[in-house]
Amino acid sequence: MSTTTVMKPSRRKGPISFLTILGWFTAILFFLPIAWIISTALKPKNTVLDIPPKFVFMPTFQNLVDAVSFSNTLQYFVHSAIYSFTSVFLAIFVAFLASYSFSRFKPAGTDFLMFLLLSTRFVPAAAFVIPFFQLFNVLKLKDSFLGLIIFYTMFSIPFSVWILKGFMDGVSTKFDETGMVYGASRWHIMFKVVLPQVRSGLVAAFVFNIIFVWNEFLFNFQLGGLKTYGIPVGLFTSITKGGQVDWSFVASIGTLYVMPLALVIFFFQKYLLVGLTFGTVRGEV
Amino acid sequence: MSEKVEKFESKIKSTSTARANKRMSWLLLAPVLIFFAMMNILPTIWMLGLSFYNYTLTSANGATYAGLSNYFDFVKNEQLSQSVSRTFLFLIIAIICQTFLGILIGVLFWKNDKMPGKRLALTLLFTPMVVTPIATALFWKLILDPTFGVMNYFLTSLGLSKVDFLTSSSLAFPTLIVVDTWMWTPFMALMTLAALGSVPKAELEAASVDKLPIYRQVTTVIWPHAKFILMLGILLRSIDAFKTMDLTYIMTNGGPGDRTELIALSLYRFAFKSFKLGYASAVSVFLLFIAIALTAIYLHVLNARKKAEAQA
Amino acid sequence: MLGQVFHLVYIGNGTTLLSGNFDFPLTLHAHCLRIPTKDNPTPGCVWGKGVLLSTKTDNNIDRRLFLKGGAIAVAAIPMSGLLAACSKSSDSGSVASDSPLLGSNADNMKGKTIDFAYSRIGGWPPSSAPETQWADFQAYAQANYGYTVNAITFAEAPFGELFQKVAPTLASQSQEFNLLIVDSQWLGALAEPGWIIKADDVIAANPDLDIEPYSSLVTNTYQVYPDGSGVRWGFPQMPDVQGVFLRKDMLEDPKEQAAFKKKTGKDLASTYEVLSEIEYADLVEIIDFFHRPSKGMYGTALMYSKEYDFFSCAYYPFAYSTGGRIWDPATNDVYGILNTPGNAAAMEQFVSLKKYQPKNFAAFGIGDMIDLFTQGKVFSAWQWCAIGKFMSSDKVPADKVISIPIPKWGGKRIGAMGGQPWVINAFNDDDHMRVAIDVLKWWYTKETQDKFILENGGLPWSKEACANPEYQAVGHYVKPFLFMLSEGNSQDFWHLPEYAEMLAVQQEAFNGYATGQVKTAAAALEYAAAKQQQILFKAGRTKTEPPANVDSLKL
Repeated sequence: MSTTTVMKPSRRKGPISFLTILGWFTAILFFLPIAWIISTALKPKNTVLDIPPKFVFMPTFQNLVDAVSFSNTLQYFVHSAIYSFTSVFLAIFVAFLASYSFSRFKPAGTDFLMFLLLSTRFVPAAAFVIPFFQLFNVLKLKDSFLGLIIFYTMFSIPFSVWILKGFMDGVSTKFDETGMVYGASRWHIMFKVVLPQVRSGLVAAFVFNIIFVWNEFLFNFQLGGLKTYGIPVGLFTSITKGGQVDWSFVASIGTLYVMPLALVIFFFQKYLLVGLTFGTVRGEV
Repeated sequence: MSEKVEKFESKIKSTSTARANKRMSWLLLAPVLIFFAMMNILPTIWMLGLSFYNYTLTSANGATYAGLSNYFDFVKNEQLSQSVSRTFLFLIIAIICQTFLGILIGVLFWKNDKMPGKRLALTLLFTPMVVTPIATALFWKLILDPTFGVMNYFLTSLGLSKVDFLTSSSLAFPTLIVVDTWMWTPFMALMTLAALGSVPKAELEAASVDKLPIYRQVTTVIWPHAKFILMLGILLRSIDAFKTMDLTYIMTNGGPGDRTELIALSLYRFAFKSFKLGYASAVSVFLLFIAIALTAIYLHVLNARKKAEAQA
Repeated sequence: MLGQVFHLVYIGNGTTLLSGNFDFPLTLHAHCLRIPTKDNPTPGCVWGKGVLLSTKTDNNIDRRLFLKGGAIAVAAIPMSGLLAACSKSSDSGSVASDSPLLGSNADNMKGKTIDFAYSRIGGWPPSSAPETQWADFQAYAQANYGYTVNAITFAEAPFGELFQKVAPTLASQSQEFNLLIVDSQWLGALAEPGWIIKADDVIAANPDLDIEPYSSLVTNTYQVYPDGSGVRWGFPQMPDVQGVFLRKDMLEDPKEQAAFKKKTGKDLASTYEVLSEIEYADLVEIIDFFHRPSKGMYGTALMYSKEYDFFSCAYYPFAYSTGGRIWDPATNDVYGILNTPGNAAAMEQFVSLKKYQPKNFAAFGIGDMIDLFTQGKVFSAWQWCAIGKFMSSDKVPADKVISIPIPKWGGKRIGAMGGQPWVINAFNDDDHMRVAIDVLKWWYTKETQDKFILENGGLPWSKEACANPEYQAVGHYVKPFLFMLSEGNSQDFWHLPEYAEMLAVQQEAFNGYATGQVKTAAAALEYAAAKQQQILFKAGRTKTEPPANVDSLKL
């Protein structure tokens, strides 16, 4: 069972089946509203609100160009990338250490700590923003990448720990013991022996958390500033132009901003499927 | 090498190994614990403390001790309790729809392993949950608009009359559930795929060799393995549904009237519109208790899994 | 606290006011004693003999302002000085020659380089104009005072969300935004905690900033808090009033005129002269005439959205013009004043216009007025005049549009005020305070206003500017704008710190009535009035308790 696929291999082969058509139909049905957003981004600006709607039109890239060149859009993209990727990587790193500890040493109160970690993830964000605002003020972390990265790292730690611990539990302790016998240090075992075996867990934790951090709005808005705003804030504060919703702008930004995540999902799909099980399918990995 | 082995063996013998391991374990935990203390424990204590104070950010009077009055206000306010029950109603209906559809779609893709372009199809299917919610919520508003919306255009071309999905006091709430279902059914489909993937292939093959009827396959082979992940999916969704805010804020702003006012939105208003921080904290503490209860259920399910595994 | 004896030191950025023992009047408490200190970071007041009160956290400034026992001698300044500062008079004591409130002079800023930031309303051109025109200020500062200002930075958010961005920064005494463009309703919320500088103090130091307004509406809406006190806190940035935008081409169409005549026996009004004096019933008759939903043309559009103050502001003219009031600014009472049969009738009338609008009227806001009107879907739209520039498109060009004041109800009309003031952050250090004052001085120069009004979508508000024919020719909407800005034709509503909470309950109830969730207008008004009375009572603004059933009220 060394295959990485989680699908049950179906015995069916041959020409396009009914199930295939149904599958594609479902996927496209769910994608339709997104397709509408993308088509709006490609429509000439003055035809966006036309009724009957224009289904066939000469696509233009003007809206995308306008959206990217509007105000600080490009910087916001860079900001989003900086704080999202850094914090999720950092979260996965510390979560990796912690989950190794939870899995191998089982320190006192492991269950309780895991419980605490997860429960805080479940409180609505609005409850925490003001305390963070005051904390960040005291620590002079407002409108700084350091502050946002610290926050989003915390934001991403609980699920990362949970996913990784699941995977880690699935890696036999025999590996550790063998390593120890050959005199390898704990660090060596962790990074050279165990880490390669939980790679899918790492990717899954990454994908799962980046979706949340990439689209997070409230903290970025309240605790960030021009130096650290990301795209969700940039989008929200510029929805209206002259009192009117600028649909072309919203559609263009929405389209461009989803691309990195769509690519991630496309290329790392199998890891995503495995990761969301919190390591339960480790037997298959 | 042999020197190292000796060294290691002596280490094992030494009584300090356990202590070293303990030290190591806490060392590895330290970064997470520091993050946790700073970013979770501190604000939670702050929130708990503040819930006993009368503190409005824009008031000149500063914070004054108020005992439990914030909690009493919260309990007394029937509108707020309405908003809590509305949130649970939303949660239950949305989760049932999403789970049901998600399982259907998950099974559909699972059964069809050799589907051409499956990876692309699944990517398209998963996009609703990754596009920035601000953009999707705004566009749903546009799509459902009676004057400029493409949905009403189709309805009228089919000879039906226009429907005001988001401003009619009877339709707004169901519409919101439909949009939420659109957004998160893919997540439940993903969980279903993962759950089905966790069923050991050997058992499945054995079952089909034995020519077990489908329902027996499901109850004896698939369900015992898949149920944990499905339950997990349901719980994760419940918790996020409980926090639903983007959709209501942008699509209906809690309206018409208060028909779609969910508790996360009410909390947001107390904290960021009225800046009644003491009161908002009391509501947060209440929500924290609900969160803890949900987490406990979740852990209970996971422990059930562990026990089942231990038995197997 | 009331009646307690105080030795009070009040320092408002260079303006020092001291008082001896006196009974502490509550009104004073409301205006003067929002002084956050290091030890007491939540805005409040500190008192006692010879106690330091400072609005500053900066050490240097603290030392400068530190007034020990000896300084109490200055308490010789009569108590009336303090009272005067907090009441109508604008000359709040003498201004020290180095006060930052004077702005820069030839020496004190020379050679310095400074960053500057302001807050503004997102996607709202008049509020981004300071940034657009910033290069002019950079040149102005360099030429007049010899200092360099870097590119201006800003935070922006839609109307409903800007306050939540700026309020926490001010509460933490940050000078993140040196100048702020805010909504007029926020004046109380900003002034009471001591977050902004009193405009009167600035004007005392710079008499040239005391610009005569076109009408008292300007002062009462953008400057004064509390209502009727005459104490000024803000400076007008962008004035705004309500009007009605109509399709001129349809009104002037001879075929339509003939058909209208045939149908009603009346002439179809098509000129500003006639339309600007129109009665509500007559306007509705025209709206009814042009209401052709089967052809995709609706009669009119108004704002009923729950968002921010959209429903409320659109509804107010219907209430005001028929003799209604929404609260009593003298006693801060709402219950019994808002929930009257008259106001209920006005709301019924307001909502009855839904029959001339698309189905989702209850979600309409400013943007929908623009979309519907400029896409040619409605014959008329009730809109803010400041948006006038955006009420045309390639489908409905400006020469097909006419704008008029709101109609009359039995000869009477009172609209609601819109628009925004500037306010100055009280936590600015001396240099930033000087630059903030300089920016305001620059802002009100003829050159800046020219560019603002002629190029960047601004509107005039001073007596002099409003008389400028060049400004009047900016667009067809300036005429109704000036009319509605005239004495008595419009009025603003609460400026209390509790405005956000009050607005939220009211919007919810009113919008509930528009959508049918609340059965009657009277019930919606009853709900809003009771809840608002409760909010004001709890905040200590009024002594009148809300009705006993307030907690069990539901929509």
